[in-house]
Amino acid sequence: MAATPVSLEVQDVQGLVASAYGHLPHGCFVLLEIADATKARAWLGELAGDVTTAAGRVEGESINVALTPSGLEKLGVPRSALGAFSLEFQDGMTESSRSRVLGDTGDSAPEYWAWGSPDTASIDLILLLYASTQQELAGMLTRRADLGGTGLREVHHLDARRDEREHFGFHDGISQPVIEGFRTGHARDTIKTGEFVLGYPNEYGQFTARPLLEHGEDPGHLLPRDAQGSGRPDLGRNGTYLVLRQLAQDVSGFWTHLHGVAQSSGNGYGDATALAARMVGRWPGGAPLVLSPDRDDPALSDANDFAYHQTDQLGLRCPIGAHLRRAHPRDSLDPNPGSDSSVAIDRMHRLLRRGRLYGPRVDPDDAPGAPDDRQRGLQFMCLCANLSRQFEFIQHTWVNNPKFDGLYEDSDPLLGPRGRAFTIQARPTRRRVTNLPAFVQVRGGAYFFLPGIRAMRWLASLSGGPS
Amino acid sequence: MTIVADVKPRHGAGLKRLLTKMGQDAAGNDVVPLGELSTAHFARMLMLDPTKDLDGNPLPAHFLYMSDIDGSVEEHLEELVDIAPDGLDQVLRHCEGYPARGKVARDDRLEFLSAHAVKAGAEYVNTVGRTLAQVRDEAHLRAEIQDFLDSGDFEGVEPEAARDAIRRFVQAREDLRWAIEPAPSPGPAQRAAELVQALGFPLELLALAPVIVPALPVWALLLRLHELRDKARTIPPSDTHDRELAALEDFTAQNPFSAVGERKPGLTRLVTAASILRLVDYGARYIFNNGSLTGVKTIHFARWVFLDDTRRMIFASSYDGSLESYMDDFINQVWWGLNAVFSNGVGFPRTSWLVFGGSQNEQPFKDYLRRHEVPTQVWYSAYDELTAINIDNNAQIRAGLSGEMSREETEAWLLLL
Repeated sequence: MAATPVSLEVQDVQGLVASAYGHLPHGCFVLLEIADATKARAWLGELAGDVTTAAGRVEGESINVALTPSGLEKLGVPRSALGAFSLEFQDGMTESSRSRVLGDTGDSAPEYWAWGSPDTASIDLILLLYASTQQELAGMLTRRADLGGTGLREVHHLDARRDEREHFGFHDGISQPVIEGFRTGHARDTIKTGEFVLGYPNEYGQFTARPLLEHGEDPGHLLPRDAQGSGRPDLGRNGTYLVLRQLAQDVSGFWTHLHGVAQSSGNGYGDATALAARMVGRWPGGAPLVLSPDRDDPALSDANDFAYHQTDQLGLRCPIGAHLRRAHPRDSLDPNPGSDSSVAIDRMHRLLRRGRLYGPRVDPDDAPGAPDDRQRGLQFMCLCANLSRQFEFIQHTWVNNPKFDGLYEDSDPLLGPRGRAFTIQARPTRRRVTNLPAFVQVRGGAYFFLPGIRAMRWLASLSGGPS
Repeated sequence: MTIVADVKPRHGAGLKRLLTKMGQDAAGNDVVPLGELSTAHFARMLMLDPTKDLDGNPLPAHFLYMSDIDGSVEEHLEELVDIAPDGLDQVLRHCEGYPARGKVARDDRLEFLSAHAVKAGAEYVNTVGRTLAQVRDEAHLRAEIQDFLDSGDFEGVEPEAARDAIRRFVQAREDLRWAIEPAPSPGPAQRAAELVQALGFPLELLALAPVIVPALPVWALLLRLHELRDKARTIPPSDTHDRELAALEDFTAQNPFSAVGERKPGLTRLVTAASILRLVDYGARYIFNNGSLTGVKTIHFARWVFLDDTRRMIFASSYDGSLESYMDDFINQVWWGLNAVFSNGVGFPRTSWLVFGGSQNEQPFKDYLRRHEVPTQVWYSAYDELTAINIDNNAQIRAGLSGEMSREETEAWLLLL
């Protein structure tokens, strides 16, 4: 299975794959509908020359673009090619079986979403804009989102700010996989290119299913050819799937509740911050509980070189059900926790996280008692080549699963549904927070395809669609 | 137990409609409320559509009933017939050989069911000997202990004192007191009988060794030839099929899996499939009989049954979690076993020397499974919110209520709670 590492074709890959644009803290995601396909194709063709690629770091601003199935269809992608995209992408995030798998039920159900549901305006395309200052972003918006003559119509736009800490006050985005063939990093975090970019071998040493076109469908020879040698044009190569979910965070409710629990339980849980850290798996400053169970430690704020089994098999430092341990269990799951075969399972379920914040910040100290105005949260974004095995698996089998790693009725203490328990393993015996309310509510979401640059040019060369 | 009956021509649609309706509430529906069965851990009813075999001969639709039960098949069938005599008639009237109308006597129902019972080629049980009553009682016990722990503060309490407090709580509760006694374990006579049974198959193999050993290389070469010649083009499931199955999945902590495949033609494949199933059946019964199938701890029950004079086979299981995780477990942990069994099915990804390759091809393998999966129209679980790992943990909690324990053992036991 072990193939020689392939290099990522950085010139043909959009920059978001390579970078979360941490150096460009201001951002905006513009959701668009295609009104005139001819004009939209011309616009996209021009944009293909301007989008940020993975080839180099752009200091001033970055721009990327991704499409939904309806967007691809309106641009003129043939039916057979649309059917070659993964079923999850074709059916979309709001298909009813999928809502069940993703936990989008109750007040997180698509019927309550502000965008992305069947009841809201159709979304064909998303424009992702990043800038280093607010003024630059405003300038970009004027230039890029001036839709006159582009054949596009704005449906919705989302603020997307980069910050060291997410709204609950925790240092975020510390652990990210390294894409093989692109950068070098710790072997443990280096994951096969094909897990994050289509058209390259994945962790199984194989090629993830992707949209290959029929021989005659790329007469201009704009697309790369299938790396597996069939000779067919590969619309997927150097592209990937993008997941976007707007998660509203009830910051005030979160801290009010945790202060209440901490006060009513004597010294059982420690203070609200210690309880929150147990729910997250890291302290607000970022120090992992596995390495520093009793206090935040600035020296460990970016620590990522740890595993669970050897140090904390039983969850006495970092509870089994903590958010971090669910989303990235490292070496803690079957088969043979602590071994390479356990780590191998983890490697098949990794994501490139590209999330950002929206809404004004509430200071955690002021948060208790303040009313929830539902104006803030996380624009959760991730990239992966296989929506089913990566994003949906993590969401369903790990994050939302009450049975995760031997548990019974716990769900993710940060993201999980209302009314579940959170168990804190302890001596002599566990403590348990019951009836934990939901602090996060899904407000919108969609699956997109983030095409390679050549794929954008091919899309621009098509014909047909609305005019 | 497994019952297979042919469906009368033109009755398929009606039966499927009936089963689909029942499946909306498998435990409580008013046709056959499977929840009233006192010894069934799991049960399912499904209809396989009519089709053609590899030679183009028509195969009728089949009705299947499968259950995973404690105790004897006879008692189970009697209970089934008694809880829903009319409902069973409604279902079985669609089957060949069942009276189309009029009153059916209890004995005739029983006889029909017994006459259509078939023996599985191989069966797997997560933990041999654990009864439904024990599973349910121990789950109740654990839930009550949880509430007890929530109501107290054990901060700083010595482990022995904590265990004593829990034991006193259980002892004081009339509905839990039984748990202070350990679960019954097989006595010496039973264990001896078990050992004799366990030795039977290896002895049989030993006796046949003069025949088997010289035949093995010949068989291996023949098989290899077949492997090289077999068509191994896997076709992805249709989107409609995929959506139909997805709509039935992920409602509880468990899911059913039912898949039907055609056996590759020829004597070599028949001999291979039958022998491997014999080995699987033995391994499942006497080796992997305590919570783990070579590392996979999420399968409650599974079985393989030949259909249509061994031309087809159905695999049926009840497992924890999602299909995606189930398939990943297969690929990552029991790939060799899967290959040995399923590579005898038409369209399986190409194997090499029976156990290599095959399921290691992630996407073709997942496509193969999904394409051959069939909707389980009626699926009943007596404990659909318990994983096999939960059930095992509950049994350990109960076991720890009795007997002497060292300090370390006490600490470890308390962490099971």
